[in-house]
Amino acid sequence: MGVILRAVNRVLLTLIGLLLLALGLAMLTAGFDLPRRWNFSLPSDWPWTSPHDVILSDADRTRWRSESWWWPVVIGVLAVLVIVLLWWLLAQLRRRRLGEVLVESGDGEGALLRGKALENVLEAETASLQGVDKAAVRLTGRRTTPGAVMGVTLSAHAAPGPVLTRITDEALEHARESVALEKLPAEVRFRAAKHRPERVL
Amino acid sequence: MSDDSTQRMPTLEKEQGAGASGGGGHLEQSASAADYDPGAHGGGGGRNGRFWSLRRVPAGIVALVLLGVAAILLYDVASVRAGDPAMAWRRTLANEMAATALNDPKVLASACVVTLLGVWLIALAVTPGERGLLPMRRETATVRAGLERSAAGLVLRDRAMQVSGVQSVRVAVGRRKIRAHAQAHFRDLHEVRGDLDSTLGDGIRQLGLARRPSLSVHVRRPKKR
Repeated sequence: MGVILRAVNRVLLTLIGLLLLALGLAMLTAGFDLPRRWNFSLPSDWPWTSPHDVILSDADRTRWRSESWWWPVVIGVLAVLVIVLLWWLLAQLRRRRLGEVLVESGDGEGALLRGKALENVLEAETASLQGVDKAAVRLTGRRTTPGAVMGVTLSAHAAPGPVLTRITDEALEHARESVALEKLPAEVRFRAAKHRPERVL
Repeated sequence: MSDDSTQRMPTLEKEQGAGASGGGGHLEQSASAADYDPGAHGGGGGRNGRFWSLRRVPAGIVALVLLGVAAILLYDVASVRAGDPAMAWRRTLANEMAATALNDPKVLASACVVTLLGVWLIALAVTPGERGLLPMRRETATVRAGLERSAAGLVLRDRAMQVSGVQSVRVAVGRRKIRAHAQAHFRDLHEVRGDLDSTLGDGIRQLGLARRPSLSVHVRRPKKR
């Protein structure tokens, strides 16, 4: 359920964060002249060593310009970056939804069940349980090992713990049995519909 | 995570309150049921860890910004290679960068911003997020559940309103602590507080959270008009 995207997002955010942190610290170190004040020396090929260094000199910027490989490499790296970033951005916008679930009958034959059908059944049964106002279900995973992501809106005077037990034992269990799966992992999020306080006297 | 150290025995008790209701007796005595049921957290079939956010929004924003920069740069570099002049901003930027020293206040300020941005992105990447979602106790290994703090607040408010004497109540659900502020327009304040303690203690138990928050109850008279 988004395990890969979560890992990718967090790894890339860490990498970009580290890059920004290193860049900022390097500029601050040279800008405040810390090597001289605190008596340490930076390696000779460090980009900035004194507060009077410029950010990027013309000489540095055009250093490899005459090499024949420079522009193809620049364009190639930028093109790869654009493709990777585009993929990363689109991955945030896409919500994976399982199209169909494979129902094994046990004798080598199988049937395909529309994911939407199972979602609707799960939603209907969950919403009919005591203490539940509304339910929204999305199936994820593979068609042989589906999982459910459920958003459940509690009704007034519901007890979330017992409601979760009912969802687990009834709605999810029935869905699991009906598609003959060994297990149906689920992630449930409970919200509550805002309502006015009622006085009970 | 630190909270998966306590293991519940794999009993098959279905009743939520059965194991814990013994702790209800002493609730009435204490003004605040801060530790009404110690050792009650810890879970059944699986880990009770926090929900880890996907970080879709920060990842999307960072991707969008970097994509914009890379795409414009690629377009400009390619068009220069094709014989067109470079865009004006790139010339200006190159000249600025070749003319500005590092101890320029503008440069120092932007270096600070860049550093902080880096720290922030790293913090986003390594923290779980989803602070509004309280993890619930896992009864089976396959079902993970979380309760939004606002929902927990509404459930507890509804329960508190059923205590007689309570005119209005405000329940603030933190991640570790729940504070209830009630106004009672009749009955003895201590009695109301005792009732609220037990009602809300019971209500918190029924939330089915992996880690029970502590509870503090404050009761006062409504302001005279």
